[in-house]
Amino acid sequence: MPLGKLCIHWRKGPRAGRLPIPATGLLLMFALLVFPGSAHAQARISNAGTVTLNATMSESLSVGVTSGNIVDFNLLPNTAANPGNVPSVITTSWVLKPGRTSVTVWAWVPNRGAALTGAGPGGQLIPARAVSITTTPGLNAPLVASGALNATRGGRGGAPAFITAGGSGLNFATKAITPANRISVISASLAWNINTTVRPRLQADTYTGTVNIQAEATP
Amino acid sequence: MTTKFRSVLGLALLLVLVQIATIPPAAAQAVNSNSGTVTLNATLGESLTVSVTSGNVVNFTLASNTAVNAGSGPTVVTTVWVLKPGRTQVTVWAWVANTAAALTGTGGAPATIPASAVSITTTAGLNAPAVANGALNTTLSGAAGAPAFITAGGSGLNFATKAITGLNKASLIGASLAWNIDTTIVPQLPADTYTGTVNIQAQATP
Repeated sequence: MPLGKLCIHWRKGPRAGRLPIPATGLLLMFALLVFPGSAHAQARISNAGTVTLNATMSESLSVGVTSGNIVDFNLLPNTAANPGNVPSVITTSWVLKPGRTSVTVWAWVPNRGAALTGAGPGGQLIPARAVSITTTPGLNAPLVASGALNATRGGRGGAPAFITAGGSGLNFATKAITPANRISVISASLAWNINTTVRPRLQADTYTGTVNIQAEATP
Repeated sequence: MTTKFRSVLGLALLLVLVQIATIPPAAAQAVNSNSGTVTLNATLGESLTVSVTSGNVVNFTLASNTAVNAGSGPTVVTTVWVLKPGRTQVTVWAWVANTAAALTGTGGAPATIPASAVSITTTAGLNAPAVANGALNTTLSGAAGAPAFITAGGSGLNFATKAITGLNKASLIGASLAWNIDTTIVPQLPADTYTGTVNIQAQATP
């Protein structure tokens, strides 16, 4: 065997032969089998640094009195229907967490015995039960209710915490919350009335009161 | 003893004397040994390292359905390398493991913010790499040009690239990343706290 060559016996028997392969070629074949990709052909990859991203989307729930934030009444004595001059349009918008199932919108007064108070000395009072709302649904069709402002008393079952003790209100719009409307808006139009038959001896005077419009998302 | 024999003996003696006289003294001739060898093998291994120098936690206060919700601060990334001859390029990537959920909310069935909503605006730093801006879904795993470290289902952005020449086989680059989350991509994103991890990794090719 000449120096520098290896021989592979490729057949047994009388016709046996030898396949001479240069030693360097054999070594190259071995290297290719053992290291199919040479280091040079492989990309060099670094360690992995990390950046932590923390994002917070806070809850929000807002009501806006889009129009009709001042309502005037010309009262007649002992008369059931004394409508306000304009409706109040209420828009409620929110961004809520998962788990909220309902948004309710309320009109409420802090003193159910005196929704409106007369201006004169010893001014008489118009109670919450004499002031009522007829609700028409608007944007995204909330479920609506009509009634007087004494429908739900502060502290009673179902009353939101913002109706203070001695107060009362009406839940005039409700919207069920699903994953599809965790960010959404509703609106409703409130037609006002003061029923003076509730205070048949109401004296002539100018009466003023403030009704709060507020929303709650639960649970 | 014959005369002829004496002549031969005398001649032999003369030759011996001549030989002795012409031998040089032993101390005057150097003696050389065989040659031993020492082989010196030195290896400088390749290295490629990324560091998040600052801004490894970024906070966002999100507004719903709003394109611009900037991160609280930038992230500065430094990439250092020692490369073999033959490498022609270093690319640095920001990537997430799940394209659909770069950030995830809390709770049992949390909402997610996809990689398409999280973007980077890059400013070149040390040694001025070529930089790119975009969302973290710019290159999907397995797509052409995507590095192997972006795992299946993930995606990322190649935000910095440096060509390698004979002059910068051992070098470094810096880049500053300004983050943004675009909530118009997920207009029904509920209020919640969302958290995610972005990997920063580099590759030298070929």
